[in-house]
Amino acid sequence: MSRRKKQNPFPGGLVGGSYKPLKDGDVEKIHKATMKVFENTGIQVNDERALKAFHDAGAQVDFDQKMVKATEDWIMKTIKTAPESITLYGREDKHNMDLDGFKVYIGTGGTATNVLDIDTGKRRPSTMEDVQKAARLVDALENIHYFVISCFPNELEKENVDVNRFYGALRNTTKHVMGGVYTKEGVRNIAKYAEMIAGSKEALLEKPFVSFITCVMSPLVMDKDYTDLMLTAIETGLPLATPTAPMAGSTSPGTLAGTLVQMNAEALSGVLLTQIVNPGHPVLYSCVPTTSDLRTGAFCFGSIEMGMMNAACAQLSRFYRLPNYTTAGVNEAKIPDIQSGYESMATTMLCALAGSNYIHDAAGLLESGMSISYEQYVVDNDILGMCMRAVKGIEVNDETLATEVINDVGPAGNYLSHEHTVMNMNKEFFYNKVSDRNTRARWEIEGEIDAREKARRMAIEILKTHKPLFIDQHIEQKIIQEIPGMLSEWLD
Amino acid sequence: MTQIMEDIIENLIDGQTKKVVALVEQAIAEGIAAKDILNKGLLAGMNEVGVLFKEGELFVPEVLVSAKAMNAGMEVIKPLLKEGDIQKSGTVLLATVKGDLHDIGVNLVAMMLEGAGYEVVNIGVDASPEKIVESVKKIQPDLIGMSAMLTTTMASMKDTITALEESGLSDKVKIMVGGSPVSKDYADKIGANYAGDATAAVELANELLGR
Ligand code: B12
Repeated sequence: MSRRKKQNPFPGGLVGGSYKPLKDGDVEKIHKATMKVFENTGIQVNDERALKAFHDAGAQVDFDQKMVKATEDWIMKTIKTAPESITLYGREDKHNMDLDGFKVYIGTGGTATNVLDIDTGKRRPSTMEDVQKAARLVDALENIHYFVISCFPNELEKENVDVNRFYGALRNTTKHVMGGVYTKEGVRNIAKYAEMIAGSKEALLEKPFVSFITCVMSPLVMDKDYTDLMLTAIETGLPLATPTAPMAGSTSPGTLAGTLVQMNAEALSGVLLTQIVNPGHPVLYSCVPTTSDLRTGAFCFGSIEMGMMNAACAQLSRFYRLPNYTTAGVNEAKIPDIQSGYESMATTMLCALAGSNYIHDAAGLLESGMSISYEQYVVDNDILGMCMRAVKGIEVNDETLATEVINDVGPAGNYLSHEHTVMNMNKEFFYNKVSDRNTRARWEIEGEIDAREKARRMAIEILKTHKPLFIDQHIEQKIIQEIPGMLSEWLD
Repeated sequence: MTQIMEDIIENLIDGQTKKVVALVEQAIAEGIAAKDILNKGLLAGMNEVGVLFKEGELFVPEVLVSAKAMNAGMEVIKPLLKEGDIQKSGTVLLATVKGDLHDIGVNLVAMMLEGAGYEVVNIGVDASPEKIVESVKKIQPDLIGMSAMLTTTMASMKDTITALEESGLSDKVKIMVGGSPVSKDYADKIGANYAGDATAAVELANELLGR
């Protein structure tokens, strides 16, 4: 029969930008203040190679103090080589993402060390099985646009984590895979098997379906190990995010503007190093500004200020003509509940309306990123869909103004059976999957379940039925044989 | 099944009224019996629509547009149908009870019942027990559906049932009730059947009339 496959009317890549938490003059003020920090305070770089690179490129380097200072002219000249937009690819082209302008894509985040078990609901240490299942779930959830590797496989030796985590993700979704890394060997081996999957190094770099995250530390430090990893990641040529996560009030000033200034210096440091070492390297202006709850000092990922600051990053990144990586949708709730719902929605919505290119952490995470939950991915799929709907905005034209239709139906008529309604019902409205919109009677018949239980059942069903496009058997065998530390058994 | 019947079904599901009418005319020209066009084309299509709606594939507006297409096709073959060709699925009388002016919900129920092949007579809002009794005598429905949206007007459902009993009509018709303050318990208490929404109303009608 003619079942029309309804296509997603609110896909990734819609253009946001209507919410602007910073007034135009404010962006310039934050920029100027950041330049002052670079000139007067500087950043500490605890890696010899990086220090030398900054020096050779013309920054002022104090090798004894390991401090790098720089002028506005030098900074603006040096970041110029960074691409203004980047395409992150999926293993299937339908998942490619064009990070440009105010285009919006939203996805998951990591790296949690725990998971709420889907059967018992109890928190337990996460494993490789959870990495794979989370990837598979995300593969099936249409409003989650990419997969940042969700959790840490606690059962593995540290040196085997990188290759297996990335492979478990890549194998279970054809959406773009990005992840944090722990060892240099791991970074190199991931690049190596990614080349095998792509067919060649050239093919991989032309359509990179995998990318890395290496961090900058607040306040104002490029850490020894992470910078070493960053340099290794740059060598692979794959796209890179270099996020920094200041906490307003504890590791950055107790004002939003001050936190943005310091974060801007840190985010630009990552961009600067990539461009010095490899001009033109695909890098994201990467931001994780957070807050502290000053009643206790607790870290806050779900605060409203966090949403506002991350939204502001979209404006800052446009000022520097760089694509951005921002953070939203993660929360402090311990289980999927009312708190996880409103915190996730608030920050993700702000970033989406601001036109952030790559909003990460926005699905599946709970407990300030310490835990993932299968139900939460399904709930967030609804939240992300609502955000993308809002990004699309209200379309006003002769067809949507509908004066002829109003005339057709007239007073006391109804629009339910009008062609115009049928024509528009899929493109004008977002249909939540978790939200219960039935009558109370029907809700009672269906077992009086709440959103968490409904999402849990949906997650179980997806995991039972959804089969991703796996990696070619021959290539998989070759990878397992040639790459040290690879597991040989993978989820069917 | 012949190709043309498949085409009728396909276009009915797509709500293509003009194409359905054209195809029905073509089928008549090809000499296919009106009864077969009805059963193997139009009604078979609406059955499929019902299934797709239940599965969440089709939305309410689509069902209603399909129903419109079916009715348009019906108009073409009606003059050709012989006595007994149409299995009467039943007549439903709908009303919003006395003192109550809410009719959005009951209109939706009416449209869904029509979509399912019922003949629906909606006598409108603020219908007193007397008016309903009069209408039942005139129309002789198989089923009465009463809607009330106000706690204060719910009592009029009971009054109507009493009036029907007093006129000796109550065992000639089935009765269903609905509306947001109405519940299954209340319906049981007044001797009526309850459905919570328009889809459930169709299911209930099918059940009560043995379809
Ligand atoms: C729209 C509306 C109005 C409109 C009605 C327009 C119209 N043409 O119908 C207007 C503005 C006129 C109105 C007026 C009033 N309203 Co009013 N109204 C509503 C509202 C917001 C929505 C009703 C609706 O259309 N829902 C959408 C439809 C699709 O759903 P539905 O009606 O529930 O129908 C579904 C089912 O119930 C079922 N069903 C319905 N009928 C039947 C029949 C059968 C046989 C079956 C099987 C199933 C069935 O199937 C339907 C489809 O799925 C409700 C609030 C609410 N959430 O329900 C208040 C509400 C019903 N109104 C209310 C009130 C108080 C009033 C007024 C008294 C306000 C005033 N002070 O003036 C007046 C009363 C007017 C009057 N005498 O009737 C209260 C009733 C409280 C109560 N329990 O008594 C409500 C609940 C709002 C509230 N919370 O206060 N209202």
